[in-house]
Amino acid sequence: MPVVTAVLALQIFLTGAASGSLGALLGLGGGVFLVPLLNLGFGFPFTVAAAISLTTVIATSSSVSAGRAGQQLINMKLGMLLEVATAAGSFLGGITAQLVAQSVLQKLFGFVAGFVAIVMLTRLQRRNVILDPNLDPGVLGGRFYEAESRGVVTYRVKRVPVAVVASFLAGNVSSLLGIGGGIIKVPILNAWCGIPLRAAAATSAFMIGVTATAGAIIYYGRGQLEPALAAAAVLGVQLGSWGGMRFGATAPAKWLKVLMAAVLFLVAGMMFMRGGR
Amino acid sequence: MNADRTDRADEAPRAQAMERAIGLVLRAGVLASSACLALGLAIALVAGEQGAALVLLHTGVILLLITPVARVIVSIGQFASAGDWTFMGLTIVVLVELMASAAAALVFNRRA
Repeated sequence: MPVVTAVLALQIFLTGAASGSLGALLGLGGGVFLVPLLNLGFGFPFTVAAAISLTTVIATSSSVSAGRAGQQLINMKLGMLLEVATAAGSFLGGITAQLVAQSVLQKLFGFVAGFVAIVMLTRLQRRNVILDPNLDPGVLGGRFYEAESRGVVTYRVKRVPVAVVASFLAGNVSSLLGIGGGIIKVPILNAWCGIPLRAAAATSAFMIGVTATAGAIIYYGRGQLEPALAAAAVLGVQLGSWGGMRFGATAPAKWLKVLMAAVLFLVAGMMFMRGGR
Repeated sequence: MNADRTDRADEAPRAQAMERAIGLVLRAGVLASSACLALGLAIALVAGEQGAALVLLHTGVILLLITPVARVIVSIGQFASAGDWTFMGLTIVVLVELMASAAAALVFNRRA
């Protein structure tokens, strides 16, 4: 476990702020940037990096969802249903992470980072909204005010089993790799399950607090969570995502996505090389 | 009888009230935890990672971990008071899974 000095704490704080603001700009949690920076940049063991990252995921989920509460963008019922799957996936992932070698985790991270980069470049944006506020959304659907349509829109949820399987995988990857897992759920919920992107993102952001907690508790119990480093990272990510959300109120520019996809391909390559040794 | 159909006009305000209550729990948790973590980190950097600093840091981490658990418990109560037994059941399953993680953490802790 690394010794915490003022310089290290400041570096982690700034790293967290950078990851949080990039994450907020791109609609991600930021863990996908934080974990490789801590693991490859600072040389922390993978599990220590993942544990710190999961605490920042919980903090981001809580504060973002608190800010959105009352807008009806978060689909509480769908979220609770899918949490049954993410929490189970996350529980199993947290245990698995204790049993497999760091090189395996690094290779898996490389694979997921490459996947995230591809998703970012080809992101599907299906609107999925029905412009009739009186239509019955069903048990799991919802309705919310959408500025683009200047009114309340309705959506229905399709292919629930697909959403459940995607959530289980997202939970598993989340606690194995220290990321929120929204990057796996959101595109699938949007492209295949009939959920508008903003509602999918808000519901996912709401869910990942529970997902990350199921994993983080295991790392914490194992003594892999250094609380002073987690404190620096959590405070940095909070500041960063607050700044990123204020600055990035509009949709992120295309070049920013391309740049981040390039960074992620680089991360994927580095993780593969490190894990291959 | 079929309350879910008749009071659709009622549905939205109730859902909003549920969201607000959960938002309040989340905000309180994240603020309390961040305050403990910030103070704990500051003391740790001045006086070293011991005593009050460690207590504050661990309190901050535990508050952070408890916040999502608390919002799950609040949701159970909300679904129960709305008479929505299916979703109350699902939410209880989520709580049980979180408890299973805590149990696994204790097992690993003893072995480590």
